[in-house]
Amino acid sequence: MNAVGLLARKEAGELLLSSRGLGWLLAVSVVLSGFGLLLIGSQELSLLDNAQVVYDMLGIVTGLGALLAVAAGADAIAGERERGSLLPLLLAPIPRGGLLLGKIAGQAAAWAVMLVLAMPYLWAVGSTGQNMIGGGIALVLLGTPVALGFGFLALGLGARLGSSRGTLMPCLILLLLSASPLLLGPSLRQSAIGVAFDTVNPFSAALNAYDAVVIDGQGAASQVWHGLVALIWLAGTAAFAGVGIHRLRH
Amino acid sequence: MTPLAIKNLGLALGGEPVLRDVSLTVGAGEIVGLLGPNGAGKTTTMLAAVGLLPRTAGDIAVFGQDPWEHGTGLRRRIGVLPDPNGFYDWMTARDYLTFFAGLYDADLDAASVTRRLDAVGLSPPARQPIGAFSRGMRQRLGLARALIADPLLLVLDEPTNGLDPRGRREIHDLLAERAHAGVGVLLCTHILDDVERLCTHASFIAGGRTVAAGRVDDLVRTHAAQPRFRLELSGPVPPAAPAPADVRVIAHDQGWAVVDLDPAVTPDAAWRELLFLGWPITAIAHEGGGLEDVYLSVVQSGPPPAGAHTTNARSTAPQTGRAA
Repeated sequence: MNAVGLLARKEAGELLLSSRGLGWLLAVSVVLSGFGLLLIGSQELSLLDNAQVVYDMLGIVTGLGALLAVAAGADAIAGERERGSLLPLLLAPIPRGGLLLGKIAGQAAAWAVMLVLAMPYLWAVGSTGQNMIGGGIALVLLGTPVALGFGFLALGLGARLGSSRGTLMPCLILLLLSASPLLLGPSLRQSAIGVAFDTVNPFSAALNAYDAVVIDGQGAASQVWHGLVALIWLAGTAAFAGVGIHRLRH
Repeated sequence: MTPLAIKNLGLALGGEPVLRDVSLTVGAGEIVGLLGPNGAGKTTTMLAAVGLLPRTAGDIAVFGQDPWEHGTGLRRRIGVLPDPNGFYDWMTARDYLTFFAGLYDADLDAASVTRRLDAVGLSPPARQPIGAFSRGMRQRLGLARALIADPLLLVLDEPTNGLDPRGRREIHDLLAERAHAGVGVLLCTHILDDVERLCTHASFIAGGRTVAAGRVDDLVRTHAAQPRFRLELSGPVPPAAPAPADVRVIAHDQGWAVVDLDPAVTPDAAWRELLFLGWPITAIAHEGGGLEDVYLSVVQSGPPPAGAHTTNARSTAPQTGRAA
């Protein structure tokens, strides 16, 4: 296995198998269980229809994935730097690009595990309705770039700031801001500012794609614009992280 | 090819100059001590030498190549023990070494890993995570990591920190053996005994400049040439009682002072002069020579005036660069 693969395996092992990683997965399971029960309860009380429940669950999984990516990204560079374990990595013969790839690949593995973990919950809340498979595909296609983009953002900020706390704060604020469409009502999102925000916000792109696929019954493949916004977000944050890692000094 | 040659290195961090004029050379098979007070720029010099910090002036050559430009390739040939030295606490020592061996393209089997750990005197229980290691065990593991790719240049920052006397001796033996095999070693330490036991050459830096460099025995001979005394004092030196021109105060505190005498003045005359000036001297003892004297002498003296020293440590003549 080459250096990038080794680093990715180490990162994934740390994120998934260490006590901290297992704690994260447990927390994700608890959160998904809680929301799952709330959504099923709402459905049973006829407060939400089945498609809306699936849509909400997809948004929650994407938000949790982005949150996990932010926490892991802040720890991967800034946290390691604070613990002194980054320096031996910088001293190893790995190009900076390889270091970034290894770090993000570990996060991608953690996101993949989270997707697997989310599927039973998705099935539990949406098994009686339609478009669940389309929703799952949309989650993979759009949730992945959104979540990993937040991981890149945290890696890049961590490389620049060198402090995990300093990295977490702006990333969490941005995440809250971009995930706000989950909480905002339709009228607010239909205002001029809301529409403009939705157009450039990668999280909105993912939510609108989920909406179109799960609620409106459109095909996942037809969400080109939303996919493009998510990919631009991923590419932009990857470039930001790449420059940050390249300029990383001890 | 020379493992490491630094010439007139200048480096700034955050716009502030940290290194102004540092020069040193580590030849194959040599162990060179890098000494200086806290904040002198030792660690910065080491990080620049391995290509982690960009220089603003001078030259650095590792096996003839610029480490800033060719860092990734050169790092296969350099083993570094940094300070601070962090680990992945959830891994075992074996997993950790195997992981780093992979990063260096050194494919180690289980027996090789055991040999590497034995070489640094580390034999932890197989399943014990690094998080449960003592400081000394972590230091040994860091050294094993630095040696993982059988480097031709070792850059070690405080390698014997946290080790017991036996552990220190084992690390000394290991480094001497590596040097005998042709590995160049740059040893940054505050433990002068390590330098006296191991190093053929030493380089002293203070205020971001090389203030003395050369063979250890030459440095000791040169700097121990001036008569040095330790004076016990019954109280502080009166503020209006400066030392006369032929007495140089190397270090002092409330109850003591270490002074160098100008070879032209006799000790008795110097003591009479100090007593006359109000120095509360109660006892006088002659201080023996040694690297500590050299350290105190060159570091307290501060950087020499521009052009007053030569920092080429490879010259056969002692070059100490001591300020006038």
